[in-house]
Amino acid sequence: MKFWWLRLTRYARPHWLKLSVVVLLMVAGVGLDVLKPLPMKLIIDSVLENKPLPSAAAWVAGLPGGDSRPGLLALLTGATLLLFLIGWASRAAQRYVEVGAGSRMTYDLGLDLFDHLQRLSLRFHGKQPAGDLVHRVLQNTGCVRDLILTVYLPLLTSLVSLAAMLTVMWQMDRGLSLLALLAAPLLGLTIRVFAQPMAKRSYEEMRIQGETLALAEQTLTALPAVQAYGREDFEDQRFSNLSRRAGKAYLRTVASQLGFQVGTGVVTAVGTAAIICVGGLHVLEGKLSMGSLLVFLSYLASLYAPLESLAYLSMGIASAAAGAKRVFEILESDDTVRNTPGAKPLPTRATGHLRLEKVVVGYEHGRPVLHGIDLEACPGETVALVGPTGAGKSTLVSLIPRFFDPWEGRITLDGKDLRDIQLPSLRSQIAIVQQDPFLLPMTVAENIAYGRPGASRDDIVKAAVAANAEEFIQRLPQGYDTVIGERGATLSGGERQRLAIARALLKDAPILVLDEPTSALDAKTEAVIADALDRLLLGRTTFVIAHRLSMARKAQRIVFIDRGCVVEEGSHQELLRRGTHYARFHELQGGASLKAKEAFAQ
Amino acid sequence: MKILIDYALGGNSLPGLIRSALESLSLTPSPAVLIFTAALGSLGVFALNSLLQVGLTWTWCLAGQRMVCELTVDLFHRLQRLSLLFHSRHPVGDSLSRLSTDTWCVYTLTSGLLSPGQQVVMLTTTGTVAWQLDRELAALSLGLAPLLALSSILFGKRLKHRARLGREAHSRLLSFVQQTLTAIPIVQAFSREELNKQRFEHLSSDAVALSQRGALLNSTYSLVNGVIITLGSAIVLYVGGLRVLSGGLSLGTLLVFLAYIRSMQSAAEGLLNSYSNLKPVEASIDRVLEILELKDGVQEAAVPKPIQVAPRGMGVHFRLENVTFGYEPGQAVLKKINLEVHPGETLAIVGKTGAGKSTLISLIPRFFDPWEGRLTFNGIDVRKFAVQNLRAQVAIVLQEPFLFPVSVADNISYGRPEATREEIVAAGVAASADEFIRRLPDGYDTVLGQRGVTLSGGQRQRLSIARAFLRNAPVLILDEPTSALDAETEELLLKALEHLTKGRTTLIIAHRLSTVRKADRIAVLEDGTLVECGTRNELLRGAGVFYRLHSLQFLDSRRGVAV
Repeated sequence: MKFWWLRLTRYARPHWLKLSVVVLLMVAGVGLDVLKPLPMKLIIDSVLENKPLPSAAAWVAGLPGGDSRPGLLALLTGATLLLFLIGWASRAAQRYVEVGAGSRMTYDLGLDLFDHLQRLSLRFHGKQPAGDLVHRVLQNTGCVRDLILTVYLPLLTSLVSLAAMLTVMWQMDRGLSLLALLAAPLLGLTIRVFAQPMAKRSYEEMRIQGETLALAEQTLTALPAVQAYGREDFEDQRFSNLSRRAGKAYLRTVASQLGFQVGTGVVTAVGTAAIICVGGLHVLEGKLSMGSLLVFLSYLASLYAPLESLAYLSMGIASAAAGAKRVFEILESDDTVRNTPGAKPLPTRATGHLRLEKVVVGYEHGRPVLHGIDLEACPGETVALVGPTGAGKSTLVSLIPRFFDPWEGRITLDGKDLRDIQLPSLRSQIAIVQQDPFLLPMTVAENIAYGRPGASRDDIVKAAVAANAEEFIQRLPQGYDTVIGERGATLSGGERQRLAIARALLKDAPILVLDEPTSALDAKTEAVIADALDRLLLGRTTFVIAHRLSMARKAQRIVFIDRGCVVEEGSHQELLRRGTHYARFHELQGGASLKAKEAFAQ
Repeated sequence: MKILIDYALGGNSLPGLIRSALESLSLTPSPAVLIFTAALGSLGVFALNSLLQVGLTWTWCLAGQRMVCELTVDLFHRLQRLSLLFHSRHPVGDSLSRLSTDTWCVYTLTSGLLSPGQQVVMLTTTGTVAWQLDRELAALSLGLAPLLALSSILFGKRLKHRARLGREAHSRLLSFVQQTLTAIPIVQAFSREELNKQRFEHLSSDAVALSQRGALLNSTYSLVNGVIITLGSAIVLYVGGLRVLSGGLSLGTLLVFLAYIRSMQSAAEGLLNSYSNLKPVEASIDRVLEILELKDGVQEAAVPKPIQVAPRGMGVHFRLENVTFGYEPGQAVLKKINLEVHPGETLAIVGKTGAGKSTLISLIPRFFDPWEGRLTFNGIDVRKFAVQNLRAQVAIVLQEPFLFPVSVADNISYGRPEATREEIVAAGVAASADEFIRRLPDGYDTVLGQRGVTLSGGQRQRLSIARAFLRNAPVLILDEPTSALDAETEELLLKALEHLTKGRTTLIIAHRLSTVRKADRIAVLEDGTLVECGTRNELLRGAGVFYRLHSLQFLDSRRGVAV
């Protein structure tokens, strides 16, 4: 968090040109404000009172029509209009540039945060609610705009006018000027006292806002369960509590800001009162003329105005700091899966020789899910992972694309530690079908081509045909161009799973990870897909998690995992002969089928 | 205060009030004392002023905050009660954007309401004074006012439209971020990070461009107004100047008149400015009201009937009559379904994926209402009951487990918050979940990670089954309850289910015939129509669709045994 403002300032650099234009226009605006009443003054003095034009404006008379008084009147009236137009144009330009640069900076920071989030490990995402992250990416990143536009730029103008006022006053009365300046350290003190709580409260406010959004996001994504169980009132209660708390937090921020404003007000008011006292005494002693005191007092007002607005900037800094804190909390979290320095891309397509050596990993400290797994998959081999739910099968396959890294031990691909291979290069070698298909609200074709965005329509259709998805896709209103609803809500479970398989097929990678690819399919569809999978498995190293042993049987090798350990491994036949874990599993399912067979025979 | 200085320093006589006040404090009004009084007085005025300011700001903030809070809560309330059909069409991100940003815009409305009042007063008073001063000039200066109204009408719509486009662009970006973050496993697995980055850039550039165009439009509007106003005063200046030249008007009157015009101008500008600030807020309010006023498919009956709770162990009788339903107009997923389920019966629904099985069971708790036909519950149309009341009769296990980031116990008791710990544990045991729950760090009090990520698919499914078990409702709906489970766990669960389905009306969607075997009757769906319905033996004898499905799986498993 140190030097957060410096890090944020980096985002202003690409826009320095625009920002200097803004500063220039601000200055120009001040100049125009000075010029604006001039034609008016000329009209009154020279046209209506018939005084000669001041020498600086004598050229006006030389313009066509400038020699008669009505003509002059018309010219000067026109000048008023012109000055106004220029003033407007500069203000409009300033605003245009400001809005553009401000939102661009915000989104640039948002992009960096978003990109970082995409690269954080799944372990991080397992704990962080998406709604809160959304709030950080899109709301809190506004801190950079606030810092640059509402702190830095006003700082510049306030400092300039402060310096100007000070020089004038210094020449009038040094003693009084020093007295007036006494307010500055006092203001500094006020800032010190209030800045911390203001930033804290802003942060708290943003935190609760994030929490509120997270709750809303969770409720809305789980709405079928909420409605089915009639818990809308309960969720309403939780939401309204949170949003009430958010409201209170906001008011607390406002309260501390008001306190701060009163504080600065007190300082300047006391300063003014002190000047009245001392200055008044000076006048009584005859050291100062009364007129000078009055002038001095009016200057004092102009001195304190920028001083106060400088102090107010610390309010802006406080809230920017709070936003920045929420942004940097994520940017600085290093739960990413990182390349070791000098990691290289794979030179060619991997052969797919994978090896896990003494791998230990878990989600929480001290609670490993896998306890020292040793496992080898030769190129082109299909390894089935079988075991009770919760044994660690999904965790194991998550290590292969490095969704997270093992705590101990290592994994090698073609003899190279995965950590020495550049991540994009590694992941390009792996296609996955996950338990949750994670479809996105794009067209069917785009969903299938998710892993290979440039794929031709032919390839997409081929993949869909191979995944046995072609038939139902053709029945959709716009076929391949049908946009899928949120999370594939209007597709059935089996249809979603088939799209996920098509997506993996199209990626055509040497390593394939299948996490229960057929769990949501009916027997007939499964049979067809099994054929597609047979083709898919050819020449690829495949890890398949299967509860149905029909899938497992296809594997050259079956690995039985229980409570994070490999308890037995071998071919289907070998394991059946051994008659322990796998055989029992098999018997349960086979037994069920046998009963079915009997029933069928009746 | 400066007047006081005059008295103190200039030696003028004091007004009686201050003199008597000082005398009552037994002070002689010496100049030094007066100076102190002046200083103190200036402090007093400051104190009064800031007290007023603080009070005013605080009241406004409080009122605005309350409004926003209530609006947000109302919106959330409504969003939760909209049918799943609505939510399948609207991204969660869009709803979030309305909840977080659009409601907040209302806050700016409250702060924007104060100044227009002052400006209207200012405008009318100066207007009347100016009218009395010189009718011709006043008429001239007011002559252009209709143009202002015209430009406001012309621009108002566009300002609102622009603001709406901007809000929509922001909402698209928010949806994109939310979707990406919820699908992060697939993003990483398919290395979409770079593409997503480009998409973010693209969407944000859209948003930037729109906000810039909004700023431009706003500036154009203020330019047009500015030109009209300045033109008005230029005309007054010119005409008035000519009249001064011809001696028809004194210079003083013109100057006074111009001063009035200036204050009228600034009041008018302020008013127009508030108007242009109001328009974007209006766009946001529209986005909130759209949801609040949406006429949705599933509507509460005007006078909901109380549901006749079935006596324990009886279940419920329900019946689908000619039900047709689909998600997209013209694309019926279910076609004229007629189906009757008797109290206490277990009905299995089988069919190919995409046949409409999940859609069919979604109609029972009224996630959607059918396009045509009706659904009756103990003989009464379900639309006549209060939705909450109807859903209280149903326990459901959905394909996706939908767990919440609260403790395991709270997840299980989600449908019955008042359940005791013993009941929760009993449900956990019945769903074969007890064993793994006890292995979690805090057992039943373990708070689940976001979306239950640290649990395996099978564990999540078992928690959602435990949740349905605990619900203890007369109707039980199971949508592939064991798809993510291994054979052993499935067997245990099916045994537990046998107990649970007793005395309940149960609908179960199943692919594995092991599950189907235990059902009283089986309904076979194909392409949204009910093709067969009967007991297992009846269907096998009929040698229809079910027979084919059955033999396929049967052959498959036999092959498995034989290998």
